[in-house]
Amino acid sequence: MQSHGVLLPLRGPSSSLSLSRHLRRQLTLTSFHSSKASTRPRSLLLPVASAAFTVSDGELETRGFRVRRSSDGLDVAALNDVFARVGFPRRDPDRLRRALGHAGGAVVWVEESKRGGGPGKPVAFARATGDGVFNAVVWDVVVEPSLQGMGLGRAVMERLVADLRRSGVSNIALYAEPRVVGFYRPLGFAADPDGIKGMVYSRRNQKKR
Amino acid sequence: MPFGASIPSPPPTYLVHHLACWFQVSNKCWIHNGLSGFVPAKRRAMVLPLRASFWDSIKSGFLKNNNSTKVVEPPSTFMEEEDPFPQDIVLLEKTQPDGTFEQIIFSSAGDVDVYDVQALCDKVGWPRRPLTKIAASLKNSYLVATLHLISRSPGTEGIDQKQLIGMARATSDHAFNATIWDVLVDPSYQGQGLGKALVEQLIRVLLQRDIGNITLFADNKVVDFYKNLGFEADPEGIKGMFWYPRY
Repeated sequence: MQSHGVLLPLRGPSSSLSLSRHLRRQLTLTSFHSSKASTRPRSLLLPVASAAFTVSDGELETRGFRVRRSSDGLDVAALNDVFARVGFPRRDPDRLRRALGHAGGAVVWVEESKRGGGPGKPVAFARATGDGVFNAVVWDVVVEPSLQGMGLGRAVMERLVADLRRSGVSNIALYAEPRVVGFYRPLGFAADPDGIKGMVYSRRNQKKR
Repeated sequence: MPFGASIPSPPPTYLVHHLACWFQVSNKCWIHNGLSGFVPAKRRAMVLPLRASFWDSIKSGFLKNNNSTKVVEPPSTFMEEEDPFPQDIVLLEKTQPDGTFEQIIFSSAGDVDVYDVQALCDKVGWPRRPLTKIAASLKNSYLVATLHLISRSPGTEGIDQKQLIGMARATSDHAFNATIWDVLVDPSYQGQGLGKALVEQLIRVLLQRDIGNITLFADNKVVDFYKNLGFEADPEGIKGMFWYPRY
């Protein structure tokens, strides 16, 4: 992991600045009936929420892309088209609008500038859900297939993570298909840290009665 | 039936299959009513698809040597139209040898005192978090579920003790996905199947609200616990990933 020469204050309780080894060990043995604790002891070194993204907003503008940080003006039908082209299921537009309204502000998308002005189509997108203080989960990260490999996915993810961290959330999680685990790693994401497993409920997995 | 005062007409057969055995204390279903203690509720209708094995495990844990424990299944016939999905469910009832009447109640109402939450987090050994943040996290959660222990000592004329003994919450986009966080059971009450009940009921409510994708991130030690509840780890190889985790 990169280490930066900047000491950041720990998120969460200020009393955890100097955790005794006993407490640190106790914290890793979370109570039996808990899923991942939403606070874990944070080291004193954290990457700075960088003001400089890999590709700046200005650079994207010159290439004909505009970064949008809310769902205002997002064409839901066009987004569904992108979902379909990347192989995601299309969503019911009303439910998708509802989901966008409850993203807690954490929506980032890239708009392809349209000649002559006016709203352009989304070509990259990511949203997050969470409680606004401790945890967030990122969903539906997509890039228009014909525009992949240009850094647009990284652009939305960097900004989404920065927005979440600016609001104080430091536990940011997501579910990655095997072929995109490599996309998230250089962005700072680690799979199964400390053996924590992402799990999904499946009705057909219930034991027979 | 050993405990029932009066036996109702047989419930529809399709509901009886789910129960290993079913005790009924009386015709009434007691629902905790917020501040004022117990209120004999109208018979509320609900179908609880809890597995027979779950009730067995609950009874074996709770009963021990005490024959006065009753497992209460709320009436299983659909009778009420106005509230088909009640928020409070009595999971267990017990009368102590000294006459104290106890109930463990699941609620999806999210009616919880932030100080009680902090006390519960303390009991399970979690680091202190600022109360304002705890409050905000609860307010911003899509669903907050609680387990409360209600105790009524004999002769106190309806004044109950109410203790938070379990909690779980879920965040959601209100449409597609939910993620369960912070599943907690007071260590003094662990080992009785309450954690399972809590998560099962939480799932039930989420499914009722048509949230189809229910997810969570499980510490290594509790992966099997969640598997037994119907969760699958790394489905189709999909990996849970975290941003710069510290451990």
